[in-house]
Amino acid sequence: MPPLDDVLLATLPVLLAAFVLIDRHLVRACSLFVLFALAVALTWWKLGLIWLALLETLLGAALTGAFLFHALGVGLIRRTRAAGVIHGMDPVPLIWRRGLVHLLPVLALLGMLSAALASLPASESSLAARWSGLVLIGQGLWAFALHTHLLRRLLAFNITGTGIFLLLMSLVADTAPALGQGLVITGLAVAWLGTALGALLIRRLAALEQRHEATPANGGQAS
Amino acid sequence: MIERLGLVTTQLPTTSSGVMALLVVLLPLLLGVLGVAGRPTRGWPVVLVSLLALLALLPLLVLMQLVVTHGTQVWVLDLGGLALHWRANGLTLLLLLLTQLLVLASAAYAPTYLRAAVQAQGSGPAWLWPLMGLLASSLSVIWLAADLLALYIGLELMGLTAVGLMLLPGRIEALTAGVRYLLLALIGSLAFLLGVALLLGNWGRLDLAGLAEVVEPGPVLWVAMALLSAGLLLKAAAFPLHAWLAPVHGSAWTPVSALHAALVIKASFFIALQLWLVLAPQAAAAAWVVGGMGAAAVVWGGLLAWRADKLKDVVAWSTVSQLGYLLIGFPLLIGTVPAVVSIAWNGVWLQLLAHSLAKAAMFLAVGNLMLATGESRVSGLAGASRRFPLALLSFGIAAISLVGLPPSAGFTAKWLLLHAALAAGQWPWLVVLAAGTLLSAAYVFRVFRYSFVEDVELEDYQTVPLRMDLIALVLALASLLLGLTATWPLALLQIVGGAP
Repeated sequence: MPPLDDVLLATLPVLLAAFVLIDRHLVRACSLFVLFALAVALTWWKLGLIWLALLETLLGAALTGAFLFHALGVGLIRRTRAAGVIHGMDPVPLIWRRGLVHLLPVLALLGMLSAALASLPASESSLAARWSGLVLIGQGLWAFALHTHLLRRLLAFNITGTGIFLLLMSLVADTAPALGQGLVITGLAVAWLGTALGALLIRRLAALEQRHEATPANGGQAS
Repeated sequence: MIERLGLVTTQLPTTSSGVMALLVVLLPLLLGVLGVAGRPTRGWPVVLVSLLALLALLPLLVLMQLVVTHGTQVWVLDLGGLALHWRANGLTLLLLLLTQLLVLASAAYAPTYLRAAVQAQGSGPAWLWPLMGLLASSLSVIWLAADLLALYIGLELMGLTAVGLMLLPGRIEALTAGVRYLLLALIGSLAFLLGVALLLGNWGRLDLAGLAEVVEPGPVLWVAMALLSAGLLLKAAAFPLHAWLAPVHGSAWTPVSALHAALVIKASFFIALQLWLVLAPQAAAAAWVVGGMGAAAVVWGGLLAWRADKLKDVVAWSTVSQLGYLLIGFPLLIGTVPAVVSIAWNGVWLQLLAHSLAKAAMFLAVGNLMLATGESRVSGLAGASRRFPLALLSFGIAAISLVGLPPSAGFTAKWLLLHAALAAGQWPWLVVLAAGTLLSAAYVFRVFRYSFVEDVELEDYQTVPLRMDLIALVLALASLLLGLTATWPLALLQIVGGAP
């Protein structure tokens, strides 16, 4: 049985991720996501991976968070009015039956993964990280399949990615930590770039749609 | 199989080959950055940049000479405890040469295209050059990489660059298609990373040559391979995961479409095939599943290309169909006897080269036709045969290779695949090859039928700059001539480690 503080530290990201993914209020979801990234950084620190903890704080929490808020039109100093089109709320409510249906393929994937992981012994210290990684992957994929709002899918993608990083490092912490860190750092950079691109796209699409509505007669550009 | 992929060699690399390989990777990126500063739109910057770009081919030629004389080159790059493995063999060189030539052709096509078709609004055109350079560099990384970490870096760099290139037009359709493409690319890379994580967790190493020795069949390997293949086949637009391809091409710029269909999709296929050959060389049953997907892709892609309304959709669906032929290579290469493997090996890579050249030519030709007629639909081509013979000629020559008529490289490649299928006794693929040929003939002739409609007066058409027509024609001729000179690439493919 792993020590209590390990269990608590592994449960915290999972709980935060659940709130991020279920919350329809987008600004609140993004704020929770920053907290989630900080909790993951704490996990890295606890696992003795100081560099990853720093990178997670910088890339995962600060920069990804900045782009997410940029997509919502929330600036550090003032709310940018131009983003009036972007909904503060995801208009699609959560339908539980649909959610349950989407849970099936995710459970199948998780089953497959645990079958593969069964033959890989886990050390006492990495067991908690492995489980929270698996649960995060499941949560993220479920939300990615379920939601249609682009921002929420980006959040789900980031959470799935974080789950994979946790799982990866829990597998390789004792055998090949350098290779594992190389993979995770690349993955963090990719996730951040992907989120940034997605956030800029959200802004651009919203601006184009606004212009489209404003001048319907002039809307049909030569294609 | 490891020898064929050039992952092992008995010889030490020559000192200059490593430098040359580094130059091959970095020069395109450098040129791309120069492109931003110089903004090659017309006049002397174009000439200067073209000269510089031809200079960029030099290290590749030197590297080719080194590999031909000294055999396969293998390097290890040590980054503070993190070893990255690289290799160059005949196959790598062919793919590098293909990449550089196609990127050069698109880069030569782009300035005229931007001026004639896009009328350069916004900052999109300025981004084109660095992104194209980055695409060439990341593709070179993928061809040269011999471990999963380097492959992962190359794959991600390529994926994000490709998304960026697709977004450049900046219109709503392009952005909406780009969003879907971005999400798919991200999900594909997560699946890939999860697969890599399992491999690393179980065997503690990522270099392909080392993994090939230690992996053992078991649930870990199967799940890892399933995840890796799913991610890569999604990015390669293989059959059930292909729906994103046509909308993405529909609104992209012509030279970008050409590069995407010719190279980006092939890179994912290349990684997938390489991983299967290294990690699961005897998994015949699973390879048959992939082959079945390929067969379905050939037929379904052909049917959709035949029914497509828009010209670009015809070409995009034809990519799905032609990629099916490559997927049929899986059951021919995996778990078969060496005699079959050596035929199928040549067939698969020749098909890749032939399709890349022909598809790039076809996209450029179609782009020219669309620009000339101002129509994006197949039926809008009526009367094109009189007005735009050159664009139609390029389309026709590229089509010869796609359909697989002699003497094109497409014919030689399909002939080799047919031969391999016969030798292996896998007759279902014969039916697929025949059906694919008929279908591709059908969709090509449908385009011709519309363009030879004579009783239409074309009122407003635009003359296409000669340079754009010529580049399309040169690429199309290359795909035709490759069939006549196929002995050269096939001889390069035979270079193995050690023995020169």
